[in-house]
Amino acid sequence: MPADSNPATARFALSPEDRETFYAAQRRNRRATWRLSLLCVIAAVIMGLPLTLILTPLFYFLMMVAAEIINQASPLPTAFWETMHTLARQAAALSQNLSNSRPVDPNLLISGLLVLFVPGIMFSLAVWIGVRALFRSGGIGGGLLAMQAREPDQRNLKELQLADAAQEMAIAAGLPAPRVLLIEADAANAAAIGSSPNDACIVVTRRLLDDLNREELQAVLANLIGSIGNGDLSIAFTVASVFESCGMLVTLINAPFGPKARGALWNILKYVFRRDPGGTRGAAADTVAALLCRNLELGHDDIEQLFDSGRKPNIFLKLVRLVFYPILWTDIAVQLTLWMFVSMMLGPCIALLWRTRQYLADASAIQLTRNPDSLASALEKMEQDRGPLPGTSWAAHLFVVGPGSSPSRSLPPRDQMQPAAAAWTKMGGNVPASVMSGAALSASDMQQLRTEMISTVRAASQGDAQARARMMMFSHFMASQRHETAKPASSTSSEGIQANSILPFHPPLKRRLKHLQRMGAHVSADAIGKTSVALRVFTLVLWLIIGPLLAVAAVLMLVVIAMVIMLNLMLMAVWLAAIHGLFGLLGTP
Amino acid sequence: MEIHIHLVSLVTETTLAVFLIWIIVSYNFLIRKRNKVLAGWSGIDVELKRRHDLVPNLVSTARGYMQHEREVLENVTQARSQAVSAGNNVAARSAAEATLGLALSQVFAKSENYPALRAVESMNLLQEQLASTENRIAYARQFYNDAVRQYNTAQASFPRNLISGMLGFSPAVLFSSGDADRAVPSAQITP
Repeated sequence: MPADSNPATARFALSPEDRETFYAAQRRNRRATWRLSLLCVIAAVIMGLPLTLILTPLFYFLMMVAAEIINQASPLPTAFWETMHTLARQAAALSQNLSNSRPVDPNLLISGLLVLFVPGIMFSLAVWIGVRALFRSGGIGGGLLAMQAREPDQRNLKELQLADAAQEMAIAAGLPAPRVLLIEADAANAAAIGSSPNDACIVVTRRLLDDLNREELQAVLANLIGSIGNGDLSIAFTVASVFESCGMLVTLINAPFGPKARGALWNILKYVFRRDPGGTRGAAADTVAALLCRNLELGHDDIEQLFDSGRKPNIFLKLVRLVFYPILWTDIAVQLTLWMFVSMMLGPCIALLWRTRQYLADASAIQLTRNPDSLASALEKMEQDRGPLPGTSWAAHLFVVGPGSSPSRSLPPRDQMQPAAAAWTKMGGNVPASVMSGAALSASDMQQLRTEMISTVRAASQGDAQARARMMMFSHFMASQRHETAKPASSTSSEGIQANSILPFHPPLKRRLKHLQRMGAHVSADAIGKTSVALRVFTLVLWLIIGPLLAVAAVLMLVVIAMVIMLNLMLMAVWLAAIHGLFGLLGTP
Repeated sequence: MEIHIHLVSLVTETTLAVFLIWIIVSYNFLIRKRNKVLAGWSGIDVELKRRHDLVPNLVSTARGYMQHEREVLENVTQARSQAVSAGNNVAARSAAEATLGLALSQVFAKSENYPALRAVESMNLLQEQLASTENRIAYARQFYNDAVRQYNTAQASFPRNLISGMLGFSPAVLFSSGDADRAVPSAQITP
């Protein structure tokens, strides 16, 4: 790539001894994936401990209530009651030993732990397997429907190029050519979705075709196909199913209370017990799409509706509230635990894991195209045109760059490019002749215009007064030209399952470009710009202050969760005793 | 003494079992690599055939406009028929395909002189298709050559090189970049 005359935008590559081959980068990222998946498993186990502590008592509670009712109709064998008594006595002995910090009999400890953890673990696993089966049978059709994806037009040169480039990269990777679909969105982005390389599907926004040249398009497709070849689809599937299971758990516990959770469950049941696989394919796809769009919703309002409805509570409502009181505490405890552990621990671990997969996909893309420069410039352009993508929130983590950001920085799409180009010329730009003559813009002209605009924006951001004045004039003109695009910047970069993590799922562009530079890409200095020492010291000091505060907050949160669990247990015991007494009274006459 | 004999036989048996397992694992490993090489070769073949199929379309589209370049178009047709008849011999095939590629690039170079032809939409699409086919051939070759390199390294690395010949594996041949004068020595790819 020719060196630019402007030193600020000059692109340079690393010297050979600092480089890393793409094979080495792939190996490194694969190892990182293994390490992080181990970390994720540990995080999931740690999260599971309090969760089972909450779910197991609920399980026993419901079982005992059911047993009492059945006993009323036809007396259960005494062996059942004896087993229950032994279990309860064991639990009591264990808790007494633990609370007095006396040495515990190992046999008692093991049996106690089994009694405590097995039901909760079984229940969570059952939910997870159920969610996996549900999504596997649903396929991706519903998701594509929600995105409103369409087939590329074979007669359109750009769209034909897309289909061709996808097939070329599939050949380079030795994979079956994936289906390619287009979506109309005001962002330049692309994603690979599906559950295996055989049903993989690549979704590209039309804007991407307008923004990138053929080489860059090829690099983006290589990234996606490389990611398919690396098996990222099944990893993404597992990741999504873990988050969805957490959501499902909340829905299940909420089900007795509110219409919203019940409606969701009813839809799932309808979908599962549907006996016509051929006919209502579309409806089924819709159901799954709705499920996919729904993420782990904390602060479900169903339960609050029951306890905080505006109307004056009558005696019936009061009774209902009293009966459901223990489950309310379980619900609160589950939501608190999930929120705390998912967003603080499991979510960030999974986000880091997913980032290694994206670095791996970048390295695979270079293996396929042998052209690191095109991927670097494609990523830079896509970062500049990160717009919101309607209907894709469930797949936001699958896109090459994180969707949804300020559209103010992005340049107008193609149909608005013509007046923009004319305006640019008036402001003193160096514009191809076709614009002056009013002829249609060719792709290369548009490319030239784009690079010029981007370099002007860069110069303006670095304090060049002339460039700034030019950008101001231009933006004024464009604002007067298009009223409809003056929508507010939606800076919700975390959508879908990403909302469950405090750490974004996409690595920052700077770090990606740095990795690409190590594999031989020419990257401009300010794209991976070094942060100044003062800023670093400031961040460090900030973290030194915030870090301990966060730790204290986390510990307090844990204490709150522990207290809620205790309260939950006590309430259940009281309710169980009350129910037992009630049925005993009923049974005596 | 008896214990000693027992120990010796145990050690021999274990070594033998480990050796057998290693042979089986190596054999399967090499088979996987060889299948990748074969898949790569068939991938190249498919793309070369695709180019052959596009040529008649190109000639018929261009003929109407390029009245004065009859010779160039005839060259293309001739090179195509030679490439089709070359079969699976890598040397002959790569030479013929190189000639065809050269002839095609001449057509596109000459077509620059015919603005009327450049304006025809189908010609642009055809050009994209042929450009894509060239890319596909290049990428298929890249895949094939990577596979060949891995396969040959797997065979030649110690200690696998001691058994790879006995198990019936032989080094595969790289597909040359298509220059006629740098054609690979005569070699036949056999499954």
